[in-house]
Amino acid sequence: MNRYEKAAGAAVALMLIAGAAIFFYAPTDWLQGPVQRIFYLHVSSAIAAFGSFAVVLVGGVIYLRNASPVADRLARAGALVGVVFTTVTLVMGMLWAKKVWGAFWVWDARLTSTLVLWIIYAGYLLVRRLADPGRQAARFAAVVGIFGFIDVPVVYFSVSWWATQHPGPVIINDALPPQMLATFLFTMACTAVLAGVMIAIRYRIEALLDERERVFEPANVIVAREPQTAP
Amino acid sequence: MNPLRVALAVARKDLRSEWRTRELVPALAQFIILALLIGNFGFQIDSRNAASIAPGILWLALVFAGLVAFGRTFTAEREQASLEAMLMTPASPVAIFAGKAIAASALLVVCEAVMLPALSLFFGTPLSGGVAAAVLLATVGMASLGCLFAAIVARVRARELLLPLLTLPLWIPFIIAGGQAVQSAMGQGGNYGGAISLLIDFDILFVVLTSLAARFVLDE
Amino acid sequence: MTYLVLAYAFAVAVLGGYLVWSLRRLRELERRQL
Repeated sequence: MNRYEKAAGAAVALMLIAGAAIFFYAPTDWLQGPVQRIFYLHVSSAIAAFGSFAVVLVGGVIYLRNASPVADRLARAGALVGVVFTTVTLVMGMLWAKKVWGAFWVWDARLTSTLVLWIIYAGYLLVRRLADPGRQAARFAAVVGIFGFIDVPVVYFSVSWWATQHPGPVIINDALPPQMLATFLFTMACTAVLAGVMIAIRYRIEALLDERERVFEPANVIVAREPQTAP
Repeated sequence: MNPLRVALAVARKDLRSEWRTRELVPALAQFIILALLIGNFGFQIDSRNAASIAPGILWLALVFAGLVAFGRTFTAEREQASLEAMLMTPASPVAIFAGKAIAASALLVVCEAVMLPALSLFFGTPLSGGVAAAVLLATVGMASLGCLFAAIVARVRARELLLPLLTLPLWIPFIIAGGQAVQSAMGQGGNYGGAISLLIDFDILFVVLTSLAARFVLDE
Repeated sequence: MTYLVLAYAFAVAVLGGYLVWSLRRLRELERRQL
């Protein structure tokens, strides 16, 4: 078992403990019932996603400044992990919304901007896949990642401004009893560890992929070179 | 080299080239009329719902026309070669980028001049300075973002697919504020002043950001 | 109640599945290096 697998095992163990806390330690919400327990992982995933996208932002900025391949790989890793966590956030949120609000989807500020976030970084991953690998792709992706990160609070602000023109559904009350708060903080910490491990693994994968491409390059160059003929 | 003069020179070059071929504006104008027509059928427009649906159709048509107009700023073969030539001069990449964005916006504004009267004609909505102002303000911000991402996808495979995917999420704030402004200018209630000031804020934010990003995207 | 179960089942499937997939990818790439 290599060290990544050990780290992954530890992260999974932590998540299982968090799961136990979510289902057995946290009290049942008297207003919403058991379905409220979705909150713990749903919000933790959202935070893990934002954190991952912040990694993309930082990696992108560093890459634009000094073209460091480490920064670019980190950004790539962050984007993929971030999209995974955003997907979890959106689906858990939709299931919760269906139970509590009666609809899978409403166009409020938070849901809309989270959806936009997902689309933006899915676009980031596509740009990487479709652009010829190298400095240019890394640069373009850095710009996409930076604009994406800025756009989300802007979208959030626009939609909430718009939503206050047309009153929307109930906004979630933020006051949490201590046992719930403790469960949430613990779950968030465990999820952050899981995200960190996932990013580390993906970083290593990207590093190996980069190396592999360079490994093939000399062979291509030799094959492509024409025999020199005298003028 | 004065950046403003560079920008205007680049814009003039692009506009002159479009004037010679006259391909984009007629095609876009035609597209916009068709979009209005389809909107009529798709939304089952009648005299009662026309006024409330018209703003939505305006923005849909504008967004798709905008994607085409800005998408083309960096794609033509000749464009790539002349762009590389321009970048070898001491002119700043930001000025070149600004010039291209100005030219593309001008073309879109011509189309808007077709669209707004047509919208008014087909849907019976008032044609006012308020509507025009909202559309023009949104065009500025949308142009800067559209052209930046057009420059990014110009050298990428499947650029027609990727451009909307990257650009539309960033256009959402403009569509929200612009939609609100147009709706209110057409008498459907809402906060016109607030929407316009939001548009101006977004314009400033994104023009500054795209100017900063332009040199990373155009530089090679 | 079912919504709760569905939500966590989805999360486990996606997060767990992604983790397993990425570990396998890593193994495969490291093997090819040798």
